[in-house]
Amino acid sequence: MQLKLNNFTKTFGEVTVIDGMDLTVNDGEMMALLGPSGCGKSTTLFTICGIHRMNGGDLHFGDRDVTHLPSQQRNVGVVFQNYALYPHMDIRDNIAFPLKVQKQDSATIKRKVNEIAELVHIPELLDRKPAQLSGGQQQRVALARALVRQPDVLLLDEPLANLDAKLRLEMRSEIRRIQLETGITAILVTHDQVEAMSMCDRIALMRDGKIEQLSEPSEMYNNPANTFVAGFLGNPPISFVNAQVAGGSFTFGDNTVAIAEALKPRVGGEVQLGIRPEHFGPQFGTGVTGKISFVETQGREDLYNVTLNSGGMIRSIQPAGERLKMGDAVSWGVSPEAVLAFDTSGDRL
Amino acid sequence: MPRTSKPRFNWLGLGFMAPALIVVALFFLAPVIMTGLFAFTNMSTSTGITGGEYLLTQSNLRALENSGVSDETFETLSTTSYRVDEAGLARLAEQHNQATADEFRTLHGDTVFTARRDMERALKDLNQNRIRSTRDRKAAAELFTSSVLDERFVEETDFRAALANAGINDADHEILVTEAFTGWVWTTENVELLTSLSSSARYAMNTAIYVIFTLAFNVGFGLLLAISTFYLSPRVASSFRTIWFLPRVLPPVLYVLMWYWLTWDTGIISTFAGYFGFAPRNWMLDTATNAWVVIILINGFVGASLGMILFSSAIKAIPSSMLYASEVDGANRWQQVRYIILPQLRWPILFTSSYQTLSLLTSFEYILLATDGGPGGTTEVWALAAYHTALNNYGGNLQYGLGAAYALVLVIIGIITSLLYLRFFNFRELVSKPRIEN
Ligand SMILES: Nc1ncnc2c1ncn2[C@@H]1O[C@H](COP(=O)(O)OP(=O)(O)O)[C@@H](O)[C@H]1O
Ligand SMILES: [Mg+2]
Repeated sequence: MQLKLNNFTKTFGEVTVIDGMDLTVNDGEMMALLGPSGCGKSTTLFTICGIHRMNGGDLHFGDRDVTHLPSQQRNVGVVFQNYALYPHMDIRDNIAFPLKVQKQDSATIKRKVNEIAELVHIPELLDRKPAQLSGGQQQRVALARALVRQPDVLLLDEPLANLDAKLRLEMRSEIRRIQLETGITAILVTHDQVEAMSMCDRIALMRDGKIEQLSEPSEMYNNPANTFVAGFLGNPPISFVNAQVAGGSFTFGDNTVAIAEALKPRVGGEVQLGIRPEHFGPQFGTGVTGKISFVETQGREDLYNVTLNSGGMIRSIQPAGERLKMGDAVSWGVSPEAVLAFDTSGDRL
Repeated sequence: MPRTSKPRFNWLGLGFMAPALIVVALFFLAPVIMTGLFAFTNMSTSTGITGGEYLLTQSNLRALENSGVSDETFETLSTTSYRVDEAGLARLAEQHNQATADEFRTLHGDTVFTARRDMERALKDLNQNRIRSTRDRKAAAELFTSSVLDERFVEETDFRAALANAGINDADHEILVTEAFTGWVWTTENVELLTSLSSSARYAMNTAIYVIFTLAFNVGFGLLLAISTFYLSPRVASSFRTIWFLPRVLPPVLYVLMWYWLTWDTGIISTFAGYFGFAPRNWMLDTATNAWVVIILINGFVGASLGMILFSSAIKAIPSSMLYASEVDGANRWQQVRYIILPQLRWPILFTSSYQTLSLLTSFEYILLATDGGPGGTTEVWALAAYHTALNNYGGNLQYGLGAAYALVLVIIGIITSLLYLRFFNFRELVSKPRIEN
């Protein structure tokens, strides 16, 4: 079911946390709400499920206007960051709770609980108490409880934040699998770009209560709308340098980088260049000189920080091989097609 | 490196604990021990709490009927005899003159007259120093009375000597000494009395009514307040809580006085009911039901405020995401209370109930101030009975020993239930140990 937020505004007292946000999540789509901590992701999520009331704007699930409906009547499933399982109920009762409060008959409840337990792979845990489960298992229970009454939308608030690295990887694919199997419309709130990029169809990247860019993960990575988006996505992160446009090249200090043909009409004067680590290295020729100031080996790849002779620093990531040392002087090139140019206020050129 | 040192006795620690230990010993152990000791004495106003004397009275004799004391002894004790001994002669010498006394000694020294008539005749029949006036003879005869009855003896030996003098059979001495002692003695009488008195059963019954209903009101109303204020805005909620806390912070006398104003026959309820044509009545003391309702409300409102505070903080301790989750899951307010909040208040409710059971068992101050056990003893609870018996008796004879026996029952119940609760709640702690994530 499509979810549509229109001109949504949320204030807490004097503070406006969300200001006129528009967001449409298509039917069956998994949307990431990505952004740094405190940017208003949870607030948005809690407003969609009715825990917070909107101060302005409206919200539709499909054709249904749910702006003024209380949580109980919205038919949303929510997975909370701490799972919020009911500690005094066993797992079966936890999952059955949304059906029980609807007073469905016990045979139906039993059947649905068993079905959903199969889906999230926890049929053997039904008789335990939440305290007897590991984090990942609790996560699955929370998912089952959110999904058991077939909600119109599924909302996940930082579902992986409390898991250790291995479980996080496992649950990442599990959540996506379950979302795809059920075909449910979902919003995933996360501050982790890898989660957003790997799990979701589209990403809404938020800053200070506004959506900076909304697009598919690869599009957002390759075509960031501004320096904030460019800087938020990618690990190791993109490097920025200030440069001048002179004679068909970007120059900064004694370094030059060629300007791609397509970019030439749009640039001039002062610009900010965004160079991703995979686009800077010896395989792209020469023209940028500096000293290695940091080396990190990541197994398959090596990560270098190159401090430029003219000041500033550019990161580079290269297949493991010829190992350079700290202090080695290098003269490497930048892939002209991959250079991202921004104006001085940070907007993409 | 972790040091594994044996736990040493720590004098500094003991120093810090000392005040607490002294307080515990002084204000907890000592009263308990003293209650236990007093309970096995017959201390009362008449025995005093120090020593006693030996005094045999007519009422003692009545008490001794059917106790195996021989008829002769009764006979001897209840008739006055006259013994011509040195003490009596000295008194006679003082009242009349030495010559009379000397002659009387010569004639009748060490004689015992069992009839007043014989004694008076002996006085009349003196040769040189005849006492002529009948009145003087009567007075003189009095000087030689040697009744054991109504005579105070400080020492037991004196009393025994007096018994022997009066010619009382040795076999009966022991029982007379015991009966005549006016000080307190060790006894198990109190316990026997407690178990045999029908009033004990009624006090126990009253206590059960009082504790059960007050507790139910406390917990129920406390819960209602806690839950309803939880759903109010914080400011309204806190002023509500403050209002409901007033009964607890008000001095009990003042608080009960307000109940008087409310319930007296010229009070608020009567006045108000008067507008609807009801005759004024005392809503506190008119009937036993009235009295119970008022007492349960008086105590209930005080206790409810404690429950309210405990339950409120327990509700606040429930993670808000859990409450959100239940709302998103579709639970309405009632279902949220029923399925999420109440189950998580189980331990606070149990704790409050156990704690308040204990304090209600021993508390009586509000009953004392309100009905004083009335009307007609219908609201006399065990603790109040102990108080009345030991410290505030209409008859004026305060029975410390019996009162202590009443109190001892409460102490024993209190200690046993406390120990049970301790085990119970510790057990709870054990089973809820946090688990390590796997
Ligand atoms: N109930 C609240 N009352 C006041 N301020 C709040 C409340 N909830 C969130 N905020 C503020 O709103 C901003 C956004 O919070 P949130 O949506 O939780 O951020 P995040 O993106 O990390 O989930 C933060 O500055 C936070 O302090
Ligand atoms: Mg958040």
